Amino acid sequence: MSLLELDAVDSYYGQSHILRDVSMRVEEGEICALLGRNGAGKTTTLRSIAGARPPEVRTGRITYKDRDITDMETEDISVLGISHVPEERRVFANLTVEENLHLADVVKNRSNTWGRDLDFEHEGQSIEQILEDFPRLSERQQQMAGTLSGGEQQMLAIARALKQSTDLLMLDEPYEGLAPQIIETVEGAIERIRDEGTTVLLVEQNAVAAMKIADRCYVIDQGSVVFEGPAEELRNDEETRERYLGV
Amino acid sequence: MSDEVGSAAETEADSEPVDESPTLYERWRQIHDNESTVAALTILGVALAPFVLVTLPTQLGLPSEYSWYHNLLTLTLIWGIFALGYDLLLGFTGLLSFGHAIFWGTSAYAAGIFSANVTGSPLAMILVGTLTAVLMAWIIGWISLRRGGIYFAILTLAFGQMIYYIFLSPLGDITGGENGFTGVQVGSLFGVVDLGRAVPFVPEAFVDSWMYVFVGAAMILSVVVGYRILNSPYGAVLRAIRENEQRAEFVGLNVWRYKLMAFILSGAFAGLAGSLYVIQRSFVPIENTLNWTVSGDIVVITVLGGVGSLFGPVFGAGLYMYVANIVSGMPVIGEFWHMILGIVFIAVVATMPHGIWGRVDWLRDRVADAIGGDER
Repeated sequence: MSLLELDAVDSYYGQSHILRDVSMRVEEGEICALLGRNGAGKTTTLRSIAGARPPEVRTGRITYKDRDITDMETEDISVLGISHVPEERRVFANLTVEENLHLADVVKNRSNTWGRDLDFEHEGQSIEQILEDFPRLSERQQQMAGTLSGGEQQMLAIARALKQSTDLLMLDEPYEGLAPQIIETVEGAIERIRDEGTTVLLVEQNAVAAMKIADRCYVIDQGSVVFEGPAEELRNDEETRERYLGV
Repeated sequence: MSDEVGSAAETEADSEPVDESPTLYERWRQIHDNESTVAALTILGVALAPFVLVTLPTQLGLPSEYSWYHNLLTLTLIWGIFALGYDLLLGFTGLLSFGHAIFWGTSAYAAGIFSANVTGSPLAMILVGTLTAVLMAWIIGWISLRRGGIYFAILTLAFGQMIYYIFLSPLGDITGGENGFTGVQVGSLFGVVDLGRAVPFVPEAFVDSWMYVFVGAAMILSVVVGYRILNSPYGAVLRAIRENEQRAEFVGLNVWRYKLMAFILSGAFAGLAGSLYVIQRSFVPIENTLNWTVSGDIVVITVLGGVGSLFGPVFGAGLYMYVANIVSGMPVIGEFWHMILGIVFIAVVATMPHGIWGRVDWLRDRVADAIGGDER
């Protein structure tokens, strides 16, 4: 059983048919990369999984840990352990670093989950553990998140996800707008959390960087999956890379 | 990386541990926004306002018709509490309600009718009024919050009109209809303190009656409670929702429930203020309680004072009350007070994007800079 499975998913933005018959799976403990050109449907795939509306999933099934999550509410999917870190500004800019991290505690409060049929499988990491892993953040706890650099914001978004009980971390374009040196730091963080047992689903336009750390890759084009296989295989498959990724 | 200056200063301090005592600026940073400072400033402000705004100007020779008077100050504090609660919703959660007259008005009627039929104890009136407002906010929020943005605003406005007409006519026998409810019987506080009496041992130059003390205490309590809410994790959730609802959902927060809670809390503040209003006036005028213009006034007051600040709305209430009650009585220009208010509103919005309090904040930062800080 895979951690996450998409079975013949078709998603629409209003009348436009975006995802066509997308089937994919994410295995526990891997870094899975979803690659493709601008507008290929990568973000739509993540939003379909996270339960964000739009897009509207009209046919197909999305299962997570054998549970059908296709029609669940966004916040419930998040509580089940799928953490979606959207593109661009990923943190709450008007909250301090500390408050951003504390939001994860509020999520676990009974007042938030009351009346929802949800269980936390585990506690998530403690704030001390997180600050040890991300020393930059511990220096900046009282600073507004919006004043952090791009790399630090990305780290904060990842740290917040880890503070929740996240089993699947979905990162949408985590390298966007970052300097090469900072990308390496973020790469290191992603690999480290994979090694600590969190599964990662990574969406990137920067295919070269993504293939470097991914275990398995999907390539998506015009809303359909055109390649599926180990990152190794994609690295050697020059034709697919040229044709769909332009690298 | 954005704060290299700060980290460089830290390493310097590590290497030469000579000067251990905090600078003036560091001390200021420590206390300038904590709860005791906020409470102390509120107490100071409430205690000195009558002297500074009523007594002093008259002694300096300002004609008394241009200066504040005690009842107006009390009224300002009452509207200030209302606005403070409104700002929890508009400024911190990002919801624009056009129906807050409902909570202010129904609590006023509930407190008034309760005083006529059961007991006139001011505390009991407040309790009944606030509970009524909470109940109304629960029901109306539960329905209206299913929609966002302009639809939410229109729904609350529609509910406001509905309640207004229900109180005006079908319930006229109980509410007094157009004449308002006139049977209010305000008793004494704890059975001993008559709110209309002067406070013994305190010169009238400072406080004129127990009423001001009573309302002032409610103001201080409201500020402290507001401060607690905003600085709790709960307040962080509200600010997160204002910034981006969907991202808050991605984090796993049940956004709808938090919005409802903010709406109810805001209704509770409006209920407290509405009850105080009746206690002060001993009368429930329908046009000043349930009419939709009240819902508009509170938006104007909050925007004037500064959306998204704790104290700002109180200053907005002060400015509004001054124009509405004193400028309106001035010769020649008095008749145009609505227009003057409009001009003041445009001027404030155009020149102070964060309201009056935005300017105060800016000044505080300049002061901090002057004593050695680096605020921006």
